[in-house]
Amino acid sequence: MQTLFDSRMTMADFIAALFDKLEVAGVAAITKLPSGEKTAYTLLADKDDIEDCVPYFPAMPANAARAVSKLTREAPPSKQVAVFLRPCELRALTELVKIKQALLDNLFIISFDCAGVFPFQEISLSDEAKLKAYRDAVADGKNCEGIRPVCNACTRFVPEGADIAISFIGRGLDEPLALSFPSEKGKEAAKILGLDSSDNVETSPALETLAEARKKAEGELTKKIEETLAGTDGLISVFDKCISCHACSYACPICYCKNCYFDSQTFEYFPESYFARMGEKGALRLPVDRVLFHLGRLSHMSLSCVACGMCEDVCPVNIPVAQIFKTAGTRAQALFDYIPGKNPDEPLPLLTYAETELEEFED
Amino acid sequence: MTALDEVNMDNEVSMNKGIWIEGPVKKGILEFFSGLLSSKKVEAVLMPAKNKSKDSYAWFLMGKDGLLESAEPFPPVMTTQGARALSYLTKKGTAWKKTAVVLRPCELRATIELAKIKQVDLNNLVLISFDCPGAYPLEKYFNEDQKELDEIFGACLSEQVELEGARAVCSICHRFTGRGADIEIGLMGGEAKGFWLIPGSGNGEELLEGVSGSKPDNLEAREKKIAEATIQREEKRNNTLDSFRETVMGPENLMNTLSSCINCHNCSRVCPICFCRECYFDSKALSSEADNMLQRAQRKHGLRLPPDLLLFHLGRMTHMSISCVSCGACEDACPANVPVSMLFSLAGRNTQAVFEYEPGRSIEEPVPYKVFRFEELKDFETPYTKEYAKEQ
Amino acid sequence: MDEKNDFTPSILYGLCNWCGTGGSETAGALHLQYAENIRPFRVPCTGAIDPVYILRALIEGADGFAVSGCHPGDCHFDQGNYRARRRVAVLKTLLDTFGLDTERVWLRWVGHGEGKRFADTVNEFNDHIKNMGKNPLSQRRDT
Ligand code: SF4
Ligand code: SF4
Ligand code: SF4
Ligand code: SF4
Ligand code: SF4
Repeated sequence: MQTLFDSRMTMADFIAALFDKLEVAGVAAITKLPSGEKTAYTLLADKDDIEDCVPYFPAMPANAARAVSKLTREAPPSKQVAVFLRPCELRALTELVKIKQALLDNLFIISFDCAGVFPFQEISLSDEAKLKAYRDAVADGKNCEGIRPVCNACTRFVPEGADIAISFIGRGLDEPLALSFPSEKGKEAAKILGLDSSDNVETSPALETLAEARKKAEGELTKKIEETLAGTDGLISVFDKCISCHACSYACPICYCKNCYFDSQTFEYFPESYFARMGEKGALRLPVDRVLFHLGRLSHMSLSCVACGMCEDVCPVNIPVAQIFKTAGTRAQALFDYIPGKNPDEPLPLLTYAETELEEFED
Repeated sequence: MTALDEVNMDNEVSMNKGIWIEGPVKKGILEFFSGLLSSKKVEAVLMPAKNKSKDSYAWFLMGKDGLLESAEPFPPVMTTQGARALSYLTKKGTAWKKTAVVLRPCELRATIELAKIKQVDLNNLVLISFDCPGAYPLEKYFNEDQKELDEIFGACLSEQVELEGARAVCSICHRFTGRGADIEIGLMGGEAKGFWLIPGSGNGEELLEGVSGSKPDNLEAREKKIAEATIQREEKRNNTLDSFRETVMGPENLMNTLSSCINCHNCSRVCPICFCRECYFDSKALSSEADNMLQRAQRKHGLRLPPDLLLFHLGRMTHMSISCVSCGACEDACPANVPVSMLFSLAGRNTQAVFEYEPGRSIEEPVPYKVFRFEELKDFETPYTKEYAKEQ
Repeated sequence: MDEKNDFTPSILYGLCNWCGTGGSETAGALHLQYAENIRPFRVPCTGAIDPVYILRALIEGADGFAVSGCHPGDCHFDQGNYRARRRVAVLKTLLDTFGLDTERVWLRWVGHGEGKRFADTVNEFNDHIKNMGKNPLSQRRDT
């Protein structure tokens, strides 16, 4: 357990201190858009612009790991940039670093224990009732009604591997920030911020309560999804209304490929092949490879799935994609005793697969 | 000459031809296909059918023995845009067997646009379309009572009234008939008692030979109805787009409209016209180094990540709005409820007007980007009128 | 008024390798003076300027974007300038549709020997953009 300090700073003070004391060149976090309704993950490079920065606002309009990968993939910043990530986003970032899709050089990572987010469509800055309920839930260490199913069932909601971790749960979003500094870089920062042992505070017992509630919810979710997927037809029927738009993979932080294999020429066929396949079955659904895509994606990335929920948020036909990937991912990860994003030094276990073997799943 | 005149002119071709079939349209059409398949006039049909779980529709290529009981030539939603389905089938070559395809009018127009850029091969295809009452938003269809919605849709189709609760673009659709197809399924003017099969090409005529039905005596009345409805709908379209424009004009309004957009690009992935396997806006051309992004963030008081959101929308419009058929697929697939098909319909109406181009009107009409003229578009140049005296 | 004079617009000027660049060279040879805050850049042909470049410049900091190339009939590649004109027409129509300052984009033909016309265009465009003021589109963090 990391030592927790009472920083006596509000979030705004803290962000200002990042610029003033830690001398970062930029901060990336969820920020209010000028429209005043919606938020976006935004890179701010000027202390004068930080007023609208709301890192804990409960929406994930883009997985921040994907954003950080965009930011650093070509070349990392030459000065420190502080990035706020939710725990699942941080785990995704760690996975991306392992496969060289993001660079950590000069990044200062800030995370916090996370009470979950609402589906991004369902939360705006003006939704006062929802936001009030959320604030209360954070302070009480309870699951808030309306947060996404994968958040509800997320048991890894305390950050792993941040330089600074903020503790909200059981304390509230508006209290002075309680900070811990797990890394060497973080410990340096603690000194610069002038925090010492006289500032120590207790970890809230609410973290435990929430962990238990989450564990229970995870069990229920797993059971529900396993039942849905049971039998040879389970997977096929869940994805029966899938329109093959591949939004789920484009929004997924782990699916980093610019040209997804399943959108490549490999999956374009000559008309002959369509008619031949129709001939066998009398009827052929177009586009083909719908189920194959999901199985293939599972085989490509489920070991690294951090259950961030993005895929489900973007699915236009409301398929519980993230719940499925979380359930299947956890099972695959258990086989290898692998927890994605836990340890940056732990290499990705390799999984072998053969797409063609999966074709029998198509109708 | 307006587009409408042209449509009316084309009518004369089909005015005296066609077959009137009494009875419910879905049953009649399925029997028609079944006849075509068993007489081998066509060897396959591509049309939507209910999926296995019966909670949605999908495209199926069906052969003689496979004509699905669940086939639905007139589905109440557009899951995959039909032109896209057709391009999966024929992008790499001519359909192996003669195939009849049932498309909504906007899917037909997109098909013609795709044929112009070689993403669909029209050979060996018979295109069939119909008077479309509109389609429900996918979201509505998945969240409400499907049975009830199916019934309402069926009634609107046969009685030819605009579908209530249809997608925004459907409510302003002015090209709602199957004109331009090889065979047009005519419902408007038929007073819900039956439907016409009207050939639009030699290909269509061949297929209709020997189909039993009565001679259509009142096609003229149908044409009149269509002409009237077209004028009305055109006016509604223009008015709606004009007032929509008021709400999105200027950086402030436009960016507020796009503020819920998460830059996921799903709109372009489902758009039939955006056929590029690798979209420019997903390519390396737009990636940059962190320091560069920090500079941009400084200049603009912040940089939204992933970046280039407005560039994506406006840039996509420069690429394809000229061919946008207002099919609404983009908006259906948008997870953030951005009125993206309205934005593109508005953009398309205006860019198309510059070249008096109408996407999908005719395969003979080349896409404007491929046409070069010596003398035109003077208004878009800034003239050099006098020798300029520099301001002091 | 002073505010306007203080503002130095950021302007890009796309010139085709043949006439546009030729015009700028002729202007240089004639020692004609023109505004220095304009950043000219060469492209093989105006037909090679994708409107997306122009948009990107306008969204990311440019206050104006001008394009010059061979007069109709003189294009080194035959029809590149016609293509450019169609593309600019689409772009300006879109800017107009969404109320985004069409006049920040200019297309004007400049022939190889037209040094005076080149210098005049630079100066006129510069003054014109100064009068328009800073480009509001490039100041927003939500783009
Ligand atoms: S599969 Fe879904 S839940 Fe898993 S990492 Fe990707 S987007 Fe997140
Ligand atoms: S986002 Fe949904 S509809 Fe699209 S491919 Fe994924 S599961 Fe299918
Ligand atoms: S846009 Fe027009 S043609 Fe397309 S579905 Fe809607 S009403 Fe039918
Ligand atoms: S932009 Fe939207 S409305 Fe236009 S053709 Fe593409 S999907 Fe259809
Ligand atoms: S408009 Fe919708 S579908 Fe398109 S990029 Fe934005 S959020 Fe995605």
